[in-house]
Amino acid sequence: MDDRSGHGGSLGRRIVPEDPRRIGEEPDYRFTLANERTFLAWIRTALALAAGGLGAIGLLAEELAGAEALGLGLLAMSFIVAASAYRRWALQETSMRLGQPLPPSRLPGIMAAATAIVAFAAAVLFVVDQL
Amino acid sequence: MTRQRPTERFDVGLQHERTALAWERTAFSMMVAGAILARYAASVSHPTWALVGLAQVAIGGGVMVWAGWHYDELHGPLRAGNPVVHPTAARLVGLTTVGFTGFGLITALVVITLG
Repeated sequence: MDDRSGHGGSLGRRIVPEDPRRIGEEPDYRFTLANERTFLAWIRTALALAAGGLGAIGLLAEELAGAEALGLGLLAMSFIVAASAYRRWALQETSMRLGQPLPPSRLPGIMAAATAIVAFAAAVLFVVDQL
Repeated sequence: MTRQRPTERFDVGLQHERTALAWERTAFSMMVAGAILARYAASVSHPTWALVGLAQVAIGGGVMVWAGWHYDELHGPLRAGNPVVHPTAARLVGLTTVGFTGFGLITALVVITLG
């Protein structure tokens, strides 16, 4: 099967899709650059989550019970975001080059829910700590 | 002598400049996060582990320099209408961040579970 969308194939191809430059036609450069900025925004999100996680573990662990679990949660989120960022970028680039709709992604929803859970958990831990 | 300003507007949305700034913000974030990881790694184990974080700082610095240089160079291809996609830089930054976040996660897991 000729699957050029990058959704199928071997595990390696699933994580690192084919070089988008070989597929389809060059889109408007503004779209290329917008996709690049979106990729960079996800990378910064991963870095901010990592900084937050390490901060929670390094600075709060002795003062707030549960801070280590929170930090590990943030670090896990950070790794998931970082690990999916390139794949996301390449699949979107490929879709644009083939004139297809952009692939749907559950990651924004998952990230919003996970961030809300971490914030809620942090608030609960803080209140419990103050009692 | 005053510099001649470009007579032709080819990028009214300043996409090119916004993208250069996004790379620079990302490079700066890499350096900050690398410094935090270096400090954490050195505080929980042997100081040489801080080298992982410091490597991230160095790569962030490299990306910063590259972004400034590359986006200056990109004026030519953009005016000529040539492709501007560059997966190599995206792969480097993506892979570095995966390695960095993975190292942070594993270090924290090991330190917390083994005490």
